[in-house]
Amino acid sequence: MAARRLVALAGAAALLLTACAGSDNEGNETRPDARSSGAPAKGGTLSVALDSDPGALNPAITTSGGTHTASELVFSGLVELTPKLEQVPELAESWEVLENGALYRFNLRNGVTWHDGKPFTSADVKHTFDTMLLKLHSRTAASVGAALSSITTPDPDTVEFRFKQPYAPLLQQLDVTEAPILPKHLYEGTDVAKNPANNKPVGTGPFKLVSYTPGSELRFTANREYFKKDLPYLDEVVMRVIPDKGNQVVALEAGEVDWLFGTPGPDLPRLKSSGKYDFITTPLNPGGSNCIMTVSFNLDRPLFQDVRLRRALGTALDRDQFVDRVLFGQGRVAEAPISSGIPFAHASGLKGMPEFDRAEAERLLDEAGWKRQGGGTRTSAGVAGVPDGTPLAFGFTHFPTFSAYAQLLRAQLTSVGADVMLQPLEPPVFADTVFKARNFDTNIISYCNGVDPEIGVKRMYVTSNIGPVPFSNSSAYRNPEVDKLFEDARTTVDPKARTQIYRTLQEKLVQDLPYLWIVETEANRVFPNTCKGFTPSGHFAEAASCTT
Amino acid sequence: MTRRYVVRRLLQLGPTAAAILLVGFLLIHLAPGDPVLALAGENGDAEYYAFVREKFGLDEPLPTQLATYAGNVLRGDLGTSYVLGRPVSDVIAERLPATLLLTGTALVFSTVAGVAIGVFSATRRRRWPDVTVTLATLAMYSAPVFLLGQLAILLLALRAGWFPVQGMTDARSSATGLSHVLDVGHHLVLPALALAAQEVAAVSRLSRVGLLDELRRDHIRTARAKGVPERTVVLSHALRRALLPVVTVLGGRTGQLVAGAVVVEVVFGWPGIGRLLVTAMQARDAPVVLGVFLLVAVTVVVANLLTDLLYAWLDPRVRYR
Amino acid sequence: MSATAELAGAQPAATPVGRRPRLLVRSLRTPGGAVGAGLSLLLVAAGLLAPLLAPTDPFAVDGPPLTAPSGAYPFGTDALGRDLLSGVIYGARTSLIVAASVAAMVIVIGTTVGLWAGYFGGWVDDALMRITELFQVLPRFFMALVVIAFFGPGLDRLVLLLGVTSWPLLARVIRVEVLALRHREFVEAARVHGASRTRILLREILPNALPPGIALLGLVVAQVILIEASLGFLGLGDPNVTSWGTLASEAQRFLRVAWWLSLFPGLAILLAVLGLNLLGDAVTDALTGRR
Repeated sequence: MAARRLVALAGAAALLLTACAGSDNEGNETRPDARSSGAPAKGGTLSVALDSDPGALNPAITTSGGTHTASELVFSGLVELTPKLEQVPELAESWEVLENGALYRFNLRNGVTWHDGKPFTSADVKHTFDTMLLKLHSRTAASVGAALSSITTPDPDTVEFRFKQPYAPLLQQLDVTEAPILPKHLYEGTDVAKNPANNKPVGTGPFKLVSYTPGSELRFTANREYFKKDLPYLDEVVMRVIPDKGNQVVALEAGEVDWLFGTPGPDLPRLKSSGKYDFITTPLNPGGSNCIMTVSFNLDRPLFQDVRLRRALGTALDRDQFVDRVLFGQGRVAEAPISSGIPFAHASGLKGMPEFDRAEAERLLDEAGWKRQGGGTRTSAGVAGVPDGTPLAFGFTHFPTFSAYAQLLRAQLTSVGADVMLQPLEPPVFADTVFKARNFDTNIISYCNGVDPEIGVKRMYVTSNIGPVPFSNSSAYRNPEVDKLFEDARTTVDPKARTQIYRTLQEKLVQDLPYLWIVETEANRVFPNTCKGFTPSGHFAEAASCTT
Repeated sequence: MTRRYVVRRLLQLGPTAAAILLVGFLLIHLAPGDPVLALAGENGDAEYYAFVREKFGLDEPLPTQLATYAGNVLRGDLGTSYVLGRPVSDVIAERLPATLLLTGTALVFSTVAGVAIGVFSATRRRRWPDVTVTLATLAMYSAPVFLLGQLAILLLALRAGWFPVQGMTDARSSATGLSHVLDVGHHLVLPALALAAQEVAAVSRLSRVGLLDELRRDHIRTARAKGVPERTVVLSHALRRALLPVVTVLGGRTGQLVAGAVVVEVVFGWPGIGRLLVTAMQARDAPVVLGVFLLVAVTVVVANLLTDLLYAWLDPRVRYR
Repeated sequence: MSATAELAGAQPAATPVGRRPRLLVRSLRTPGGAVGAGLSLLLVAAGLLAPLLAPTDPFAVDGPPLTAPSGAYPFGTDALGRDLLSGVIYGARTSLIVAASVAAMVIVIGTTVGLWAGYFGGWVDDALMRITELFQVLPRFFMALVVIAFFGPGLDRLVLLLGVTSWPLLARVIRVEVLALRHREFVEAARVHGASRTRILLREILPNALPPGIALLGLVVAQVILIEASLGFLGLGDPNVTSWGTLASEAQRFLRVAWWLSLFPGLAILLAVLGLNLLGDAVTDALTGRR
């Protein structure tokens, strides 16, 4: 989870991004765009399954997927992002980009009120950024925060963001996920982390919180004063904490819930063939998009310093099995270090990605000095930095939720003579162990690439980003050439030249193999086909309606 | 029951409570790494660590620390959950009613059903109903709670569709009035049955044996000889004393039930302290884990005390050293 | 804590040592005893011979995913394509390791405490019994949870904890036996002949006090197996050994599509625990003459 959270949705080349987040109705029949087919039914209750208790409901001070999923219906951003990542007005009615992108001026919508009736003004925007987003929202703080010089409010309807240098991705980072706006009148002069409003949120969004029973359910009612005309269609949204994903499906099939954020692979074929449900297939997760499950090697340890060993292990991995047996088809084999969800940067037809070939893997291991003794674990003979006779045994650190990946990887590597010890660690402990203490051999992380390599990819590779920040350069890969290429990519304006730089970069990465890129993951939102009008994330139920 | 016995039994609470506190305290200090990490989690900031250090007196000598820790706990201050950012006592209090409902129902049900089955079995001693029941209860006694839960879901909820699969209420129901009570009741059936199964088995075996022993006694023979109807013999003469062994294990059963509740809450998505405990363990939220442990330990101790007092009251002849 | 065990342990058995073997054999001749012994033997055999009996390594991805039980895969396969029969057999090994190690610790601690308390009486007895009560009151399952929360999952700490907390019942039974035995003729005779205290305890009293204890041990071990499985079910097992509880935990996700994944590990636990309970009950019944 935490890995996904890190990723930014920001992107300089927003127009090139359309392919990465397209919604795709894969129901039994082809349906026209749900938003436009007929007049939406009004009223009714939508029941939604949550994986975990959100704990707190302030999306401005955390990137926790649980908190965001449960609270984004209550709040709004300045700008809304469509599923295709186009920007449309939300709290901001219009905007101007001035001084080549160093100054942004937003005209705020008139007559918007908070759920408690107080008027919304530019002071709320400035206060939210200054005291929460730029300090506590890890993605927005790290990206916008680092580049921003000041936020000013010339009048109650106008906000200006001034940057030290031109900053292109801002408009991608102002939606309710990256920059929800909270009411100044409830937070001013208080300890943000302990403010009671964190559990009784007051926003400007399509739904108002009615009650929150920790560990059990949240109830929302439609905000009839909502500034978007006619929305929402529903009267009520109930979110129900159902930790077990199998149970979520059971609840869906029993008609108890109408919306799941993800469909467990084993149930997907049955749900699809039942003809009762519609699906939205998306690379968007609460808190990250275009994620690649990635194996890191701790390059600080002598064992992993030989690229031949890394390549051998990569060659021993049958990644199709990961797609079939772990993801149940919800994803694809990663073909390059950069996600196919970023088409302008993804290198297609890349030569040198390790492909599964067990015999070849065995040969590479022998060549690297790891010899079989009988049928068991290989031991070293003449490997640099490793005493002879050391068994090829190493730890594999992972979130407990990724244990299926871990078990499949262990089985595949065991068959070429490597002994893998699994070490499941909960996210907070994982972050400390891997990035602060660097006490691990190998691990698996869901690195979400986001919509631009600048934020979601670069962090994995540049020398300057080795620990202690969570989900930084986990392998501790150091290559001045690669550092230079990322620098070039950032300052290159010509799209073609930039694409070429990323290609060169990926060729280098595939040569060095500091990581193994396993699979690109995607999720299937599922809902009864009596409902329509959903978007994959954010205000997902804002325009939803159901007929019964 | 002598007053001396009651007083003695109450006095024993002291050392027991002290031992429980000591166990919690020792675990914090035996855990790998700095105890502040065990108490405050592994990603607090320096300021928070300093606060926790101060609060638990971690820079003081160990005995002082123990006193501080005990003082905090005895005042009901179990610390702050660093994941939820709220006092542990509040977090536990929120979840407690659901668990009390679940375990309470299971306790009552297992006692009533267990005794009924025991009587049924004992009065048909060594005939096929008795043998069948004895075998069935032994199997029930041996089955892991999660197997029973999973089977109940598969057969009674998924296949037959008689009961909801998980949760405490229907997501669509309004949360008020009689319909709410019925809704909760409907959701309660399977988890309570799964939780009670092992205890039904234990109670029925105990009451069967107790009753068999009792029915062999002289005064029962006398009653029978006098022509007292068998029904009356069993229900009013023998049963009361036969139930004594059932009472003796009440305390221990409470512990078993609460432990079982953790598993049942996970299987059925029941929002009680069991699930809180499991989530807290996954997040390494030590204050919550310790808080739940202390609560459960105290509950079990008190349940044992009440059991002993009840037993002494029911059977004054019981000799206590 | 086993309710059955508590009841059984409430009265001393104290039959002279000479008749014991016949009694034990007789207890195994009852249907319950025979089935119990058979199931327990099966557990031990599966545990000891796992590498020979299991078709594959329990972690190996050898088969097609999620196949229902069939000739090739008698218990079916899981989502990754691992053979569940192999998993269940290796799970027996884990259960056996935990059960045997805990049993060894329980015998050592429980017997020592029981012998001392019963033989010396007086303040030693008082003190030891207070401590025993204390351990009996601590909820073992929660202690195990807390220990794993602080120290991480692992069989070693689990065995240690369960061993250190599971002995009180045994100690109490042994103590009751010793109390009944200590003034019996053969003990007095040994004392008159000048046998040392240690000799009397170990050679005269222990052999007579132990059988009821051993019967009880089956019930204690059955509980230990259930606790280990429950921890595994909650996802707190060691990921590098196969355990029945862990298998059942992974099955929960697939309840709807692969019933066999939860059924077989669950049944394995049920049979192992049932076997130990039957055996324990049969021996206890034979010893107390209550049939």
